[in-house]
Amino acid sequence: MSNLFVARRSLMLGGAALAFAPVAAVAAGPDLGKPAPPFTAVDSNGKTWSLADLKGKVVVIETTNHDCPYVRKHYNSQNMQTQQREAAAKGVVWLSSASSAVGEEGHVTAPQANELTKSRGAAPAAVLLDPQSKIARAYGATVTPHMYIIDASGVLVYRGGIDSIPSSNAADIPKAKQYVRIALDEVLAGKPVTEASTRPYGCSLKYGRSAS
Amino acid sequence: MQRFLALLLWLAAGPVFAQSPSQVPVSSVVQTDNVRAELISDVASVKAGEPFWAGLRQTIRPKWHTYWKNPGESGLPTEIRWTLPAGVTAGPIVWPTPHMFDIGGIINYGFSDDILLLVRITPPADLSGDTLKLAAEANWLVCEDICIPEDAKLELALPLAATATPADPKTRALFDTARRNVPMESPWPARYGISKSGEPTLAVEAKGLKADTIRDVYFFPAEWGPVATMAKQKASVTADGIQIPLKRGDAKASMPEHLTGTLVLTEKTGNGEVRQAFDISAKLDPAFVPTQASLAGTAGVEQLSLVQALLFALLGGLILNLMPCVFPVLAMKAAAFARLAGHAQAEMRRDGLAYTAGVLVSFGAMAAIVVAIRASVGEVNWGFQFQSPVFSLLIAYLFFVVGLNLSGVFEVDGRLAGVGQGLAARSGTTGAFFTGVLAVIVATPCTAPFMAAALGFALSQPAPATVAVLLAMGLGLALPYLALSMTPMLQRLMPRPGAWMDRLRQFLAFPMYASAVWMIWVLTQQTGADGVVYALGGMILIAFAIWLLRVGSDASPAVWLRRGVAAAAVLLAFAATLKLENGSATAASTSGGPASGVSFEGWERFSRARMDEAVAAGKPVFVDFTAAWCITCLVNERVALDTPASRRAFEQAGVVKLKGDWTNRDAEITAVLKELGRAGVPLYLFWAPGAPGPKILPQVLTEGMILSELASLQQARR
Repeated sequence: MSNLFVARRSLMLGGAALAFAPVAAVAAGPDLGKPAPPFTAVDSNGKTWSLADLKGKVVVIETTNHDCPYVRKHYNSQNMQTQQREAAAKGVVWLSSASSAVGEEGHVTAPQANELTKSRGAAPAAVLLDPQSKIARAYGATVTPHMYIIDASGVLVYRGGIDSIPSSNAADIPKAKQYVRIALDEVLAGKPVTEASTRPYGCSLKYGRSAS
Repeated sequence: MQRFLALLLWLAAGPVFAQSPSQVPVSSVVQTDNVRAELISDVASVKAGEPFWAGLRQTIRPKWHTYWKNPGESGLPTEIRWTLPAGVTAGPIVWPTPHMFDIGGIINYGFSDDILLLVRITPPADLSGDTLKLAAEANWLVCEDICIPEDAKLELALPLAATATPADPKTRALFDTARRNVPMESPWPARYGISKSGEPTLAVEAKGLKADTIRDVYFFPAEWGPVATMAKQKASVTADGIQIPLKRGDAKASMPEHLTGTLVLTEKTGNGEVRQAFDISAKLDPAFVPTQASLAGTAGVEQLSLVQALLFALLGGLILNLMPCVFPVLAMKAAAFARLAGHAQAEMRRDGLAYTAGVLVSFGAMAAIVVAIRASVGEVNWGFQFQSPVFSLLIAYLFFVVGLNLSGVFEVDGRLAGVGQGLAARSGTTGAFFTGVLAVIVATPCTAPFMAAALGFALSQPAPATVAVLLAMGLGLALPYLALSMTPMLQRLMPRPGAWMDRLRQFLAFPMYASAVWMIWVLTQQTGADGVVYALGGMILIAFAIWLLRVGSDASPAVWLRRGVAAAAVLLAFAATLKLENGSATAASTSGGPASGVSFEGWERFSRARMDEAVAAGKPVFVDFTAAWCITCLVNERVALDTPASRRAFEQAGVVKLKGDWTNRDAEITAVLKELGRAGVPLYLFWAPGAPGPKILPQVLTEGMILSELASLQQARR
C-alpha cells in the first residue's frame, strides 16, 4: 500500500519542485563570516568610495535617516558621534549611509548631508549618498540605524543594532550594552565577535515604494 | 448599604451622569497626534481581593499602526509602566492577534484602528479606601511611512465596593471583543524540525482539516531571533495537519527547545470567513528533518503542479502498457499490425488514430463518472482509501485474480469484455476504436492502484483538471500504438507474435501473486493477524468460485447450482471486508487522538425529532451544528460554549443542548442547514420558549454573547 503513497507523493513533490521559484527576499542579508557585499558609492563631498579599496581596514556601516527618532536618540545624546570619533582614532573607517529613497523621510542631498554632519558634530569618515538604497538592499538593512562591521579581510563580522535596549529614550543608552563598540574592540584585538548578530531596532528603512 | 448597591447597579447600567467622582470609574483620555489612548476596565466597581481586567485602549489614526510584542523587522512594542497602590499587581499585556504590515518591503507585526491591550489587575484582599487609582505611563511607536514615538500618562480611578459590578454594556462589549481577539491556546500539539540546510519547519498536528477551506496561514514568531520575519509563508494544509516551512532568523544562538508564536489562519465557513489564531509552542523534534522540497509547499501552486500532474499521468499511461492485464490487447494489436503490415500506410494511420480515440473516449467516460460521483458525494477524502483495510483487501483480491488470469486458470471473456472483443474483432476503423475501449476495460483491473494514485491527485483538483489528468493518462496508454502506426520504422522493430507471448504472460503471474502477498502484509499492519485469515480464506473462496464456473460445460444441468455456489463463495469472500471494517473502526476509536471527532460531553446528539419535541415542550433549546474539521466550531466551543461560566448558565436556564455532527455530511443536518439557507457549519440556533422560530447566532461566538442570551431568557421568565 505504501508504494501507492510513494507514487502519489512523488507526483506531488514533482509538482512542488517545479513550482519552487525563488521569492524575492527583501531582507535577506549577507551571511556573517562571508565576504561582505561589495559596493561603490559617492559621498557628500563627491568622493567615490568602494569597499574593495578599503581592504586592510576595518569598516563600519551605519544606515541613517536624520528624522528617525531612533537615529535622533543616538545623535542627540552624542552616542553616535562619540563612537564615530573613537573608531576614527583606532583607524576604523566609519561610513554613514543615507539610504532613504528620493522623496522618503531621511533623503538628503550632498549639501544637506554636510550641513547635518556640521550641525550635529558628527565624525564619520564619509556620509555615503545612497538614494536608490543600493547599499541598504545589498546588506539587507531593515532599520535605521542598522549597523555592520567588516573586518580587514573584507569579511562581515557583525550585523545588528547599535545597542541592546530597543527604545527611543536616550536615558536608556548608559544602561545598554553598546554592541558595536564591544564588537569593534574584539575585531581590533583579533578576537572573534562574541555577539555577532543582534536585534536591529529603529525606524523601518525608507526604501522607495515603487522600487520594491 | 442596600441603597448604595442599588445606586451602583443603576450607575453601571445607565449612562454616567454628573456624579460624585468616587462612585463611578473615572478615566483620563490622552489624545496624541496619532493615537487616542485611555485606560478602561471591565468592572464599574472593584472588590478587594477580586481580580479584574483593565486595558489600554488605543484608537489609532487611520492607516497608522502600533506594534505587537514582536514588532517584526522594525518598530517597537507598546509598553505600559504601572504605578499602583501597595499590594495591587498588574499582569503582563495579553496581546491581541497581530496583523502584518508591509512598509515598502519591511515587514511589521502590529495593530491598526481600535485596539485594546488587556492587563489583569489583582487588588489585595486588604485594600481599603473608596477608590482604586491605577496610574500608567504608556509609550508606543506609531508608524505609517514614518515612525513617531509617543507616550501618555494615564489614570483610571475605580470605586471600591463590597461587590464588584460589571462595567456598562458598551465597555463590556469592548472587552468581550478584545478577549475574542486574543489567540487561543492551540488545541493541537505542535513540533518543529530543522532541515539539513538549517531551515526550520513548523508542524501543527491538526488532523482532519480540509485544505480547501483554509487559507492565509501564517506563523507570527513570538520573538526576534530564531525565525526570520517573512513576507510570505508557504504553508501546506493536508489531512495530517499544517506544515509551515520557515526561514532561520538572524540570531546566531542555536535553535531553542521550544519555538513559540501565534498561528493565524482564515477559515471558509458556511457563512463567510473567519480569522482564527492559536498560540503555539512547538517542541524541537530531532527526528523530524523536513526535506528541502517541503519548502515549496503545495498550497498556491496548483497551476504549475497541474502541468506536472499531466506529465506524470502521461508517463503513468505509458507504463500501463507494461501491465500484464493489457497483454491480451497487446497480442491483439500485434496481430493486427502483422495483418496490416502489407497494407497502405494511410490505413495503418487511421487504425492508430481510431484506437487512440477509443482509449481517450473510455478515459473521458471514466473522468465523467469520477466528477459525477464527487458532485453527488461531496468532498471525497481520497487519502482515507489508502489507509482502509477494506481497500487493502480488495486490492489483494484483485492482484490474486489477475494472477490467476495470467496463469491461465481462466480467461477474461466475460460479457463486458466479450462485447468489446466482439466489436473489436470487426475489421477496419470501428474495430480499432473498440480495441481501444477494450484495452481500457481490461487494463482497469491492474491499473486500479495506479489510477487511484492519479485520481487521488485529480480529486483534489477542480473538475476540468480531473478530466485533463485522466485524458493525459489515456493518451499515455495509446501513445505506443499511435507512434507505431505513424512510423513504419518502428513497425519493423516489433517482435513477431508467438508462443513467447504466452510464456511471458504466465511468468508475469508471479509478480502478481507476490504483490498480493505483500498487500496482505500491509493488511495485517492495519488489522492485526486476523486479517490473514480473512484475506487467505477469501482468496480460497474466490479460487473455488472460479473453479466451479470452469468445470463441466454450460449445458450440464447443474450449471445453475454451480453458479449459485460460486456466487455465494464470492459473497462470503467479500463479507470478510465487513468484518475488517468493524475491527478497524474500533481500533481507530481506541487509538484516539485529537482528530477522533466531535465531543458530545454535556451535549445531546441532535435529531430533528428531539429538537421539535423539546421546543414543543416549551424548553429553551440551543443547537450547535459542528464538524471535526471545522476550526471555527472548535474555537467557539472552547471560548464560548463550553467554558465553565457558559456551562453553568446553560444549566441554570434549563437549556436543552443539542449538538449536530456534520463531519460526514449527515443528511438530516444538511436538510436543516438548507432550510436556514446555510451551506455549512458552524451554525448556532437558540430557541427561546414560545418563540415562533429559532434565533440564529453569529458564527463567531463570545462567552459574553452566550451569557447575555441566557440572561435575557431569565429576565423574560421573571
